[in-house]
Amino acid sequence: MKLISISLRNLRIRLVATVLTMMSIIVATALYAAILVMAEQTEARYEGSIGGFQAIAGPNGTSELELVLNTIFNVGEASGRIPLEVCEQLRSSRGSRFKRSQVRYAIPQARGDSISRFNFPVVATIDEMFSKFEWRREPLKFAEGAPFEYSWDDLIALANGLAAHENGKRAELEVIPERPLLQKKWKQAVVGSRVARSLNLKLGDVVTPVHGKLGEFDAHEHPEAACAIVGILEPTNSPIDSTIYLPLGIHLLIDGHAGGVFIQKLVKGKSPVQLEGMPVDPMRIALTAVIADPLDHMGSQILRTQFGSHEEAQVAWPQDVVPKFLRQIGNAADALAVIAWLVLLVAAVSITVAIYNTMNERRREIAIMRSLGARRLQILTIITGEATLLSFFGAVLGLVTCHAAEYFMRGTVEDMTGVYLDWTIFKMWELYLVLGVSGIGAIAGLAPAVKGSMTQVADNLTQNY
Amino acid sequence: MASLAKTLMIHLRDVQKSYTRGDQTVLACAVDRLDIEPGEQVALIGRSGSGKTTVLHILAGILRPDRGEIEVAGARLDKMGEAARDNHRGRNIGMVYQTFNLLQPFTALENVLMGALFGRGAGGDAKERAMALLDKVGLGDRMHHRPGELSVGQVQRVAICRALINDPMLILMDEPLGNQDKATGGQVLDMMLQVASDDNKTVVMVTHDPESAKRMQRTVDLETLRGDLNVDVSADQKVEASR
Repeated sequence: MKLISISLRNLRIRLVATVLTMMSIIVATALYAAILVMAEQTEARYEGSIGGFQAIAGPNGTSELELVLNTIFNVGEASGRIPLEVCEQLRSSRGSRFKRSQVRYAIPQARGDSISRFNFPVVATIDEMFSKFEWRREPLKFAEGAPFEYSWDDLIALANGLAAHENGKRAELEVIPERPLLQKKWKQAVVGSRVARSLNLKLGDVVTPVHGKLGEFDAHEHPEAACAIVGILEPTNSPIDSTIYLPLGIHLLIDGHAGGVFIQKLVKGKSPVQLEGMPVDPMRIALTAVIADPLDHMGSQILRTQFGSHEEAQVAWPQDVVPKFLRQIGNAADALAVIAWLVLLVAAVSITVAIYNTMNERRREIAIMRSLGARRLQILTIITGEATLLSFFGAVLGLVTCHAAEYFMRGTVEDMTGVYLDWTIFKMWELYLVLGVSGIGAIAGLAPAVKGSMTQVADNLTQNY
Repeated sequence: MASLAKTLMIHLRDVQKSYTRGDQTVLACAVDRLDIEPGEQVALIGRSGSGKTTVLHILAGILRPDRGEIEVAGARLDKMGEAARDNHRGRNIGMVYQTFNLLQPFTALENVLMGALFGRGAGGDAKERAMALLDKVGLGDRMHHRPGELSVGQVQRVAICRALINDPMLILMDEPLGNQDKATGGQVLDMMLQVASDDNKTVVMVTHDPESAKRMQRTVDLETLRGDLNVDVSADQKVEASR
């Protein structure tokens, strides 16, 4: 028999009070741990997810953060469009005074559709997303299958065809060039690992994009754009896992997108109505973003200069934007952590009150122990031990609750924030949290412990209760 | 610490203890002189309020007198601090109470072990010793029962085992048979005295019961200890006188 077994037994015989008091510790610890987990995994997720997205070109008039969040993290809606010529400028060196391109790749993207009730975003792009784009300095790997085939040249050819058709219509020609047809060979999709896992998709299965998001007003399916899955990506633990990639040709040709394919350039002295009648340029095909990777530091500086004064597009640098964003999240997390500490403080007070209130009824029990030779310090240890054990078990259960909540809510949290909560990760700070909460509990137990240790032995031994 | 009487188990001189209640001071006990030899079995008698339990608590080191010299089992309790007295009590004194004072949430075995925990330590062979003691008093099959699940006689035997677990030199008993029928109480007391006798332990028992007092080797009337008296009396005489 040890002092700790007496403490444990005392907790057990007051089970209801013990459980109720422990609940407050569990809630406080779970709350604090959840805040830390969210902040930490958000930071890891956001910092880890920018590998490969060196520069993102997007429309002017939107914030860099919005552009980064939408393009990399699938958060929010694309807030504007840029013409294909921005991508072309990046790929060549057009528009800059340098003779060669300053990027290793520039990959066009268009988004706006989604798939399933999980609203997995559909990103229309070209095959360079799987051949040139580098995720943490390596091309995206396929768990199964292979990339779809839709090249930059296919895109340019389609843009020319669409422009010829549109210009024929606008010029009211007798023979209007035919609008390019959606080719069967383009109806291919590559899906991220989480999409495949969540929707139980395998190679050959068909996914049908929904315009907008399922459940939203005006959302509708595009059955004509239903694509067979040709590739499933390996997990990257990034938003790529939750993305469906389709050829840009599909995006440009599906019903309802025709009117918005081209962005008309503003011309001084021309009204919007007049602009609608003017010929379109194939390079004015609308995109939502371009992912680029500067060749080197010099390339980055050149892009900054080039796009610093661009009339239609801007370049956002995730490496700059994400840390600023995380600092803001960090501030919010700090504020929440203060609230969690206050909850913990209230819980500690509840321990003090709960144990203190039992001291009167325990005077005889303490007197008996003292009469057997227990020193005041041993009584102090037993009672403080009760508070410490109460807090320890509360803290451990709080962490278990936190991890259970992560497990059950990980899908919802990912859908809402783009952050995938990995409930299996246990960090060192969790041990420190348990020790810290136990320490606070021990301090909370001191007041009743002192009262208990001061119990008058003779008076309480002779009383009959 | 210098021993006042190397051959005595208990040596009290000019001991006095008072309580203050409001503006009144009440004399709880006064003992001019009390000596008890090692191995003696002494009944301490006196009328209600005469301070029998107070003397017992002073002998145990639970209470510190206002004045006087107390030496118990070779230790000058009047000169010791509280922690030292607690330690001395735990190691050298076994106590049995009228109300048994077992801890209800704990089993018989745990109650006995608690005596060891706060005495000489619950490590080593303490558990085996506790089990052997309980077995010896006929509770071998009841050691995992809580006090509420035992009869009064069984609870009393558990209390005796707890008092003996540290192999104390001195056993102090406060009306140990007060809650029992005479037959059961007599058996338990005989058992206790037999164990004490076998191991040459000193027993001091506070009692009102003349039958119980008769079983002891010597009876001391607390009222006779006030003044110069430290007189052995026959149990019959003094119990009658104390009423």
